Amino acid sequence: MTAGFLVLALFVLLFLRVPIAISLGLASILTLLLFAEQSLVSLAQRFFFSLQGVPPLLAIPFFILAGALMTTGGVAKRMIAFANSLVGHFRGGLAMAALLSCALFAAVSGSSPATVVAVGSIMIAGMARSGYTREFAAGLICNAGTLGILIPPSIVMVVYGAATETSIGDLFIAGVVPGLMLTAMLMAAVALLARRLNLPRQPRADWRTVLKTGREAIWGLLLIVIILGGIYSGVFTPTEAAAVSAVYAFLIVVFVYRDVRLREVPKVIADAAKTTAMLMFIIGNAYLFSFVLTTEQVPQLTSEWITELGLPPWGFLIVLNLLLLVAGSFMEATSVVLIFAPIMFPIATALGIHPVHLGIIMTVNLEIGMITPPVGLNLFVTSGVAQLPVTKVIRAALPWLVVLLAALIVVTYVPWVSLVLPQALD
Amino acid sequence: MPSPRAQRLLKAADRLEETFMIVALTFMTVLTVVQVVLRYGFSTGFVWSLEATMYAFAWLVLIGMSYGVRTEAHIAVDLVTSRLTPGGARVFAGVALACGLAYCALMIYGSSQFVELSMTLGNNARDIPLRRWVLTGIMPIAFALLALRLVQAARPVLRPQAKAGDTR
Repeated sequence: MTAGFLVLALFVLLFLRVPIAISLGLASILTLLLFAEQSLVSLAQRFFFSLQGVPPLLAIPFFILAGALMTTGGVAKRMIAFANSLVGHFRGGLAMAALLSCALFAAVSGSSPATVVAVGSIMIAGMARSGYTREFAAGLICNAGTLGILIPPSIVMVVYGAATETSIGDLFIAGVVPGLMLTAMLMAAVALLARRLNLPRQPRADWRTVLKTGREAIWGLLLIVIILGGIYSGVFTPTEAAAVSAVYAFLIVVFVYRDVRLREVPKVIADAAKTTAMLMFIIGNAYLFSFVLTTEQVPQLTSEWITELGLPPWGFLIVLNLLLLVAGSFMEATSVVLIFAPIMFPIATALGIHPVHLGIIMTVNLEIGMITPPVGLNLFVTSGVAQLPVTKVIRAALPWLVVLLAALIVVTYVPWVSLVLPQALD
Repeated sequence: MPSPRAQRLLKAADRLEETFMIVALTFMTVLTVVQVVLRYGFSTGFVWSLEATMYAFAWLVLIGMSYGVRTEAHIAVDLVTSRLTPGGARVFAGVALACGLAYCALMIYGSSQFVELSMTLGNNARDIPLRRWVLTGIMPIAFALLALRLVQAARPVLRPQAKAGDTR
C-alpha cells in the first residue's frame, strides 16, 4: 500500500515533467508524511550525508572531471586515428574504427553519454563524409557509446559498489571481458552488414602509421592502467585513483597534447561540476527513495515473496532483467541502481549469484536503458552531436539493440564472462 | 519581467555560483591528490582532509542543483508533455512548478530543523575546527535558491510574452 503510493507518486510526477531528482525526493517525502512516523529532519539529514559522498561515491566527481578533460582535449581524436589505422582497411572499416574508438574511450571515461560526445562529435561527421548515412553513424555510436559504463572506469559500478558494499576494484576488472565481448559482437554485426550494404573501406595504413598513432594514443590509454593498477595493487582507494586520474588527464591535455589552453580549463571544470551536481542531486534523492522502501520493508518482503515462489536462479534472472529493462528506460541509470540493488542483492545472494556478477548484469541492463526512450540519455546526446531529431536517432539505434540484448543474455547466463578476471586475480 | 537591476543581480549570482563550483571541485581534487602524495612521499597527511573534501562535495552539489535548473541540465521525462498544445503545456508547467516548489518548501523546513538541531547541540565538526551548523547551514539556503531558479526557469513557458525581453 505505502510502497504502491510511493511508486505511483513517482510516476505521476515524472509524467508531469518534474525533474527526475525532484520526483524521487517529493514522492519519498510525501510518502513519509502520509504513512510513516519519520520526521523531515531525519530526511534532510540523510540527504546531506548522501551528498557528502560516502567514500566510493566521492570518486564520481573526479571520474567526471577526468572524462570532461579527456573529451575536450584531443584524446578522442588520437584514439580514433589509432583505431582507424588498425581496422580502417576492412569493408565498413570506418564504422569499425568508430566502435573501437568508443571502446578505447570507454576505458578513460566512466559515463556513456560522455563517450558518445567524445567519439560522436568527430566520427559522425567523418563517416557522413566517407559515404555512410548520418543515421547509420548516429545509431552505431549511440549504441557503442554505452560501453562507457561497462568498460572501466564506470560511474554506475561505483554506485552499485556503494549500495551493496561490493569492491569497486573487482567490479571494474569484471567489466573488462564483457566489454570486449560486446565490442567484438558489434564489430561482427558491422562486418556482416558491411557486405550487404556495400560499405566503403579506407586505404590500408602501414605499420609506421599504426605505431605512430598508437604512440600518440598511449598517453590517454595509460589512464586506465593507473586506475586499475592503482586500485588493485592497493596503492590508491578508488576515490584517490579517480582524483589522480583527473590530475593526470589535466597534465596530458594541457602539457602533453596541448589541445586545451590553461585559461580554458576553468570552463571544463565548470562543466564537470555541473554534471556532478546534476547527477548527485539525483543520487541524493534516490537515496531518500531507497530509504523509504527500506523503512517499508520492501526489500525483505520482495525477498520473502520471491523465495516463496520458489523461482530457480534462471527464473529470477529473467524477472530481474525485465524489471531493470523497464526501470532503465524510465529512469536515469544511477537511481535505478540505488533503488533496485538493495532489493535484488539479498535475493541474488540467497540464490548463489555472485555480487560482482549481479553488478555486471545490472550495468548491461542499464546500458540498454540508455538507448531506449523515454529517458535514454544516449539518444538525446546523440541527437545533439549528430544534429538529427531524436525520433530519427531512436529509429537508427533500434536495430543494434538486438546485439546488446544478445550480450545481455550471455552476461546473465554465463557468469564466467564477468567473474573470470576478478577470480583469476584473487 | 525583472527590472534591469534585478537582471544584473541575477547575472552576478550566476557568476558567483559558477566560480564557487569551479573552486570547490578543484579544491576537492587537489586536496585528495596532495593527500596521496603526502602519504607516499612523506608518510604524513592532514586529518581534516577527507572531511573537508566531503563537505566541499556536499556544498558543490547543493549550490549546483540550482545552477543545473538554470542550464536546464536536469533530466526529465517528456513523453506526455511533448505532445501538448501551448495551453496544455502551460498548465503542465504550472503544476510541475508547484510540485518543485512544494519539494523545496518541505526540504527548507526539514533542513532548517536539522541546522537548528546542530546549533542547539553546538558541537564541532569531526576534524574541522568549525561548528557543525556552519557547514550544514548552507542546506536551507540552497533549497531557497533552487526554488528561485525553478520560478525563473518556468517563466518563459508560463508567460510567453515575457520571453522577448528575458535575457536568461
